[in-house]
Amino acid sequence: MNHRRVLLASLLGGAVFFGLLSRVDAQATAWVGQIKVSRGIVLLDRDGQRYPAPVGVRLKEGDTILTEANGSVGLMFNDNSTLAMGPNGEVVLERYAYDSTTYMGAFDAYVKRGAVSIEAGNLGRQAPEAVRVKTPLAEIRGQTRSFGVEVEGR
Amino acid sequence: MSHPPFRRLATLAIIVFAIAACTTQRETYVVLPDATGQAGSLQVVSKQGQVLVLDGAYANAQASVGRAPRPAALSQAEIERAFAEALSARPDAPLRFTLYFREGSDELTPESMKALQGVLDAVRKRPAPDVIVVGHTDRVGLLLDNDRLALRRAERIRADLLGAGLPEETVQAAGRGEREPLVATADEQPEPRNRRVEILVR
Repeated sequence: MNHRRVLLASLLGGAVFFGLLSRVDAQATAWVGQIKVSRGIVLLDRDGQRYPAPVGVRLKEGDTILTEANGSVGLMFNDNSTLAMGPNGEVVLERYAYDSTTYMGAFDAYVKRGAVSIEAGNLGRQAPEAVRVKTPLAEIRGQTRSFGVEVEGR
Repeated sequence: MSHPPFRRLATLAIIVFAIAACTTQRETYVVLPDATGQAGSLQVVSKQGQVLVLDGAYANAQASVGRAPRPAALSQAEIERAFAEALSARPDAPLRFTLYFREGSDELTPESMKALQGVLDAVRKRPAPDVIVVGHTDRVGLLLDNDRLALRRAERIRADLLGAGLPEETVQAAGRGEREPLVATADEQPEPRNRRVEILVR
């Protein structure tokens, strides 16, 4: 069809523009998620520095989230996966890679202590083994969307 | 001689300490039902490579230092107690809106122009809103062209949302191409219901 060929040409012409866009996008998507719920004392450890972590704070690969005795926190990631943690918890966002076109990627979280509930989003839908939780004693992979891991006594 | 009693005491202290460490250092793994009540299975792999499979809602296992993960019999109530604070801190599920396009274009249908207002209202109700715009196409044209068209549709709606005052860093655009049709069709078949963007307010 004619208008489709015109569209194709304009799309090809726009390829340079899209190349630029995707570079800008690559910068924007250095953020892998955001703190949506934060109660009590919640801290973010980034590159060895600790910051308060209220609602709205954006997360990067490598970040560690900590809760104190009165704290709990809920994170949402770009693929709609969520991670929620109760008091006295510590979780490291070891790896987060997500292709928003194909839904391929990997999400590895290390739960050092605390009770954590995970809800796998698009990554898990595409490939259940893409979402992994590690603990001091084990590695957990969910063929289920939702699961919980608790590490006590550390 | 005071050595043997001292040594005995030291040994005892080590044993008590070791028992304390074993009983307090414990891990629990549990399958939880999702928002629709469905639950699948969970694989727990120990450091030694042993694999334990948990199947179905509230199936659970525990491990401690020197004791590989094995099935446990925690009740639903015990599990809900252990995870109460974590579960109550779960973020609200994204709100989804679907807008439709005219064929081969990034122009919204007139009804969908109006629906954009609903998105802005939803954004205002969230404490730390972020928006993901996912573009979709029907199966007319090549996969790669449709990826571009899908992203272009998403970018177009993103621009509208920024124009309506949403901060730039809170709106992401993604193109899913023809991978996720609402209505399954043969290749090259025009289908207006698949020419859409889904907007997730999170």
